[in-house]
Amino acid sequence: METTFEQQLERPVKSVLADFPALGALLGEFRIGCVDCGVGSCKFKEIEDIHRLAPEAERDLWTRLARIIEPGRTAQLPVRERAPAAPAASASPPIRQLVAEHRWILRWAAVIPRLAAELDLNREEDRRTVLAGVDFIRHYADRRHHGKEEDILFRYFDSGLDVLQAMLTDHVAGREHVRAIEAGVAARDDAAVREHLLAYAVLIREHIRKEDDILFPWLDRQLLDSQVGQMYAQFLEADRRFDRDPRQLENFVAELEARFDAAPAAAAR
Amino acid sequence: MNFQGCPGSRMMDMRRPAADGAPAAAPGSTPSQLRQWPVQLHLISPMAPYYQGADVVLTADCVAYALGGYHAEHLKGKAIAIACPKLDDGQDVYVEKIRSWFDDAKINTLTVMIMEVPCCRGLSALARRALESAARKVPVKEVVVGLDGTIRQSEWLGA
Repeated sequence: METTFEQQLERPVKSVLADFPALGALLGEFRIGCVDCGVGSCKFKEIEDIHRLAPEAERDLWTRLARIIEPGRTAQLPVRERAPAAPAASASPPIRQLVAEHRWILRWAAVIPRLAAELDLNREEDRRTVLAGVDFIRHYADRRHHGKEEDILFRYFDSGLDVLQAMLTDHVAGREHVRAIEAGVAARDDAAVREHLLAYAVLIREHIRKEDDILFPWLDRQLLDSQVGQMYAQFLEADRRFDRDPRQLENFVAELEARFDAAPAAAAR
Repeated sequence: MNFQGCPGSRMMDMRRPAADGAPAAAPGSTPSQLRQWPVQLHLISPMAPYYQGADVVLTADCVAYALGGYHAEHLKGKAIAIACPKLDDGQDVYVEKIRSWFDDAKINTLTVMIMEVPCCRGLSALARRALESAARKVPVKEVVVGLDGTIRQSEWLGA
């Protein structure tokens, strides 16, 4: 087993946390949620770069992490020399567009528990509503939104990045839930539809949280201005080629909220 | 007595002692990143070839004097125009030229670099007006430079 702090830096963060559970609470203190993260593929040394702390906080974090791993030894901290910090730019227009689409998907996910609780597939209205939900996921969340991520955004980065692979795995898992929901409607299997609707809602909420809070800001920091411009043009072209009316798909969510008396502002965050 | 006038005109003495031991660059050895002429917004044609599909930096006149790394860090790889929103006349022409960058030259991005003094915000306002009147939407970024030569703010204004 690796014994020094420096050796731990090269290991996957989840393995280090398994060997040193006390690290989890300390990371949580710095709002770094590696304990709860379902991906966990980052190397231990990468956590700061991904979560981006202020220089003083970064040094404090590594010092305290090193003390837990190797008490009593002064470890070599992986604190990088940085140029004087320029303020980070706000989210770029293409990333803002993806985040705005997330709001609608989250609003849909927020009404799913209400829909599932009252579900009775013997009622035609419920069958229609679930299939409209499937339509929203397939065309708005997947083809339109995940399409921009997979075909445009992610292609500006190394496709081998574990964190991108983890996002793609979530997309595949979401599609499997959708197929199961559709099959459940055809079979009028309330339990199966309920199970997969709820599982989809959990999956997509966690997926969006990871993207909004960690992945997108990290990717955005690495994009050159020229890439932001190219990506924005590619997003516009993707929207132009999209053969459904996005507002109609968004209206489905708004109507469902009205039916269940759900508050959109609370749902979107 | 405190100065009560315009912050953009307030006199400040920012002389600093020369850094000891820092090697002085040989005269003329720092490469220019300028790839075009003219640069003044009244003089340029928005249809000039170097604007086609380019990342354009619209820079307030004072910025390049305040920002030590302007050429290497902000101008490199970009097309440029300069203007002063406080002193220049004919600013409706500016709005039309910026709009033409968006719609006709089909620029990729526009970065507006201004000083932190309030009057400089007018240049960003011109870019916003042009973007609102343009048919084609392009990401526009505002970079605010401090009088001390640091970047105070960097913000995507939208598209």
